Amino acid sequence: MLRRFRIAAWILVAVAAIGIALLWFRIEQQPSATSVSLGGPFTLVGADGRPFSSSRLNGRPYALFFGFTHCPDVCPTTLARLVQLRDQLGKGAQSFDIVFVTVDPERDGPKEVGAFAQAFNAPIIGLTGSPAQIEQVKKQFGIYSEKVPDGTGDYTVDHTATVLLFSKGGKFDGTIAHEEQPAAALAKLNRLTS
Amino acid sequence: MTRLALLFALALTSCGRHEPAADLKLSNAWARETVAGQNGAAVYVTIVNNGAGGDRLLGVSSDAATHAMLHSTSTDDGVMRMRHLADGLDIPSKAAVELTPGRTHIMLTGLKQPLKRGETIQVRLDFERSADQGLDVKVLDPAAAGLQGAR
Repeated sequence: MLRRFRIAAWILVAVAAIGIALLWFRIEQQPSATSVSLGGPFTLVGADGRPFSSSRLNGRPYALFFGFTHCPDVCPTTLARLVQLRDQLGKGAQSFDIVFVTVDPERDGPKEVGAFAQAFNAPIIGLTGSPAQIEQVKKQFGIYSEKVPDGTGDYTVDHTATVLLFSKGGKFDGTIAHEEQPAAALAKLNRLTS
Repeated sequence: MTRLALLFALALTSCGRHEPAADLKLSNAWARETVAGQNGAAVYVTIVNNGAGGDRLLGVSSDAATHAMLHSTSTDDGVMRMRHLADGLDIPSKAAVELTPGRTHIMLTGLKQPLKRGETIQVRLDFERSADQGLDVKVLDPAAAGLQGAR
């Protein structure tokens, strides 16, 4: 009797172990959400007014920032900071691209994004597009933006101010938050470009 | 009735005199050069209050733009939001209040002409208790400006 009970118990243990192993295997097979959904190919409009395909970013890592040219505070600060970080990294302006995409295509045409991107004495790729193209790219990269009246009859734009990093193969590689300390940001860029 | 109101007003003013005064010093005022198409700019400044009394920055104005107002910037969950500080900005006694990138700035909109580096523009600050103060704001190169102040 006791022997039979012991065998039954061991069978139960074996079944449970196989079950857990199967479950584990299934979880491992699930790809993580970010690696599938963030990024992907896109077509926008460059500062020269011509279509800009994301394939032109292939072969070099890039830092992607969404903003708008009428943004007086966070956007110029972020772009100046990225240029400064790229200088501090000491691997040259070719080490990674800085890409600025407007979330305000109604006011920011090719000329506006071009002038804004040129204001920082270093190469920055400025991009705009039709409102539909911008909406699509915002969705692809998980960017939130919303126009808010500024009290003078004009508007400002609330928007995601996190910098997104992509490897030279176009894979999402992490973020630099607005509040991030320079040392941590530099470490991420160093890893991105090595 | 008018006399009573006057008396009341006088009483209020004399009460105010007993409060210690604020002693404000403004320094390091700057803005970024603007590019074609930009019609607004942020102005930053450090306000030090060495006095025993507090004060409040109520409003701002400038001949360089059609509108000037106080703005705060906040970032929650990665989303940057810029809002008008309608109630002004508290300047406590024995404290330094810094208007720096990513936190607080004076927002100029409707610039009458683009801001060029090397130039100076004038902004007036209207305080609750202290006299209004004029501010000479230096226009700087956007690539170098304000990075030390950014978080």
